[in-house]
Amino acid sequence: MALSTPVLGVIILIYLMVIFYLGWLGYKKTKQTEDYMVAGRKIHPYILALSYGATFISTSAIIGFGGAAGALGMGLLWLAFMNIFIGIFIAFVIFGSKTRRMGLNLGAVTFPELLGRRYQSRFIQGFSGALIGIFMPLYAGIVLIGGARFLESTLEINYDVAVLILTVIVAAYVITGGLIAVMYTDALQGTLMFIGMAILLIFTYIKLGGVTAAHSALTSMSDLVPESLAAGGHLGWTAMPAFGSPIWWTLVSTLILGVGIGVIAQPQLAVRFMTVKNDTSLNRAVLVGGPFILMMTGVAFTVGALSNAYFHQTVGKISVVVAGGNTDLIMPEFINSAMPETFVILFMLTLLAAAMSTLSSQFHTMGTSIGHDFYREFIKKGELGQTINITRAAIAVTIIASVILAYILPISIIARATAIFFGLCAAAFLPMYVGALFWKRMTKAGAVASLLVGTFSSLFWLAFVHASEAVPLGISKAIFGVDTILTGTWTVVDPILVATPLAFIVAIVVSLATKPASKEHLDTCFKK
Amino acid sequence: MLGIDDPQIWLAYILCFISAVGCMIYGALKWNDGSDDREVE
Repeated sequence: MALSTPVLGVIILIYLMVIFYLGWLGYKKTKQTEDYMVAGRKIHPYILALSYGATFISTSAIIGFGGAAGALGMGLLWLAFMNIFIGIFIAFVIFGSKTRRMGLNLGAVTFPELLGRRYQSRFIQGFSGALIGIFMPLYAGIVLIGGARFLESTLEINYDVAVLILTVIVAAYVITGGLIAVMYTDALQGTLMFIGMAILLIFTYIKLGGVTAAHSALTSMSDLVPESLAAGGHLGWTAMPAFGSPIWWTLVSTLILGVGIGVIAQPQLAVRFMTVKNDTSLNRAVLVGGPFILMMTGVAFTVGALSNAYFHQTVGKISVVVAGGNTDLIMPEFINSAMPETFVILFMLTLLAAAMSTLSSQFHTMGTSIGHDFYREFIKKGELGQTINITRAAIAVTIIASVILAYILPISIIARATAIFFGLCAAAFLPMYVGALFWKRMTKAGAVASLLVGTFSSLFWLAFVHASEAVPLGISKAIFGVDTILTGTWTVVDPILVATPLAFIVAIVVSLATKPASKEHLDTCFKK
Repeated sequence: MLGIDDPQIWLAYILCFISAVGCMIYGALKWNDGSDDREVE
């Protein structure tokens, strides 16, 4: 890289000093459990919106999914639309205010605790906490790898050292400052991400001669789609893939529906609705959140697709070819070759901020899930008074687990981690979360059944049917001697499309067959 | 439209903008709604 390392080093140092200052502020403001777990329920709407958005959008959303748009085209914009409409509007307006109120009524400080108390079940809280504690390190692992690769290439340091530095820095402010520190630093990181992505979009359109000219150039390249992609249903970068083709299924089921809907049931995001003091804050946060997400995924997917037009005009190749077949390299290659050097520095900071903001929330959620939900509430039946200290210890343990996973798991599994985690959360949590907020008739038995069916059917589909995970995992091969136990289109249908509806059906049937919760309890839950 | 032939794509492109602007309008209109909710003591 042509960048001057000392200049970049100084900028990163200044950035880290500000981060530490914000972390210290969080530490000073943390006096009791509610401060540590839900930021004292007094967070400013601007900080809520940026923290939610910056946590939602990791480096993999910009680099990984931007690269996917470079290969698959602008069809990914449907995901950007889902991110804004469902991930922000529906999440804040429909789910947010009810989550906030119920959390306050029940004194819940984590997402599993909200569900556990609504259904009067320590099992739900403990199982959900364990599920998050076991599978989130996988998702944190990929974010950690992304952030460390960035430090490795820009500061020219050893990869192992980079993993260690990143982990220690983020762990330091998460463990000491709790959710206040996480959300303050998220807001700063979100602001940096917004500026970086805005400039990226403007430069890209200028380079390609304007909005319509850029799109037209890309449209006219449809005959350049490589044979292998065309055979899978790829019809060009400004066209949806052929309906029902393998690429169409991947795009629609895994990317658009899996990630687009899965976001609602993400514990590290849902807990944020409990951090504000009233509905006004949630309404105001929508104003900031919508445009923020547009500038993140909307820009990443548009620029990712348009990189084809840029590379075609400059070197006569399409992006996948320039990146040597690795779609994760499309965005970095494009930024390095098309953008001015000063912007490259700013963009590096954007990516570091994106990694750190997601990582900090993951560490916090994993720690509270294991320390508070699983250990204190489920194993110890809520008797221990040392929640913050146990959670701190649990954060440290889960961070180590993430680092170890980042080293031992094959990259083919790690690369699927975001989709695996989102899909699992949707199947396990979405039915009982929706029921908790909107259906008073939903019972404890219905919730437990949907949690178990959602979790295990999702894991079963991952291990035995969905080829993207089943093949690299090799469990199906080891047991049945075949890569996947079903064949044809089934192997490209995402687990979320199978497990989530199944869990919803189970939730409804079992709830209707069992005795409803007492009126007093429901009155407490739904108190205005 | 906008140099994109496939309606499924330009529709998504435009919907992204409409939904983001919609979020801004919603937030602005509801700027002071809900402030008399029960708050944290």
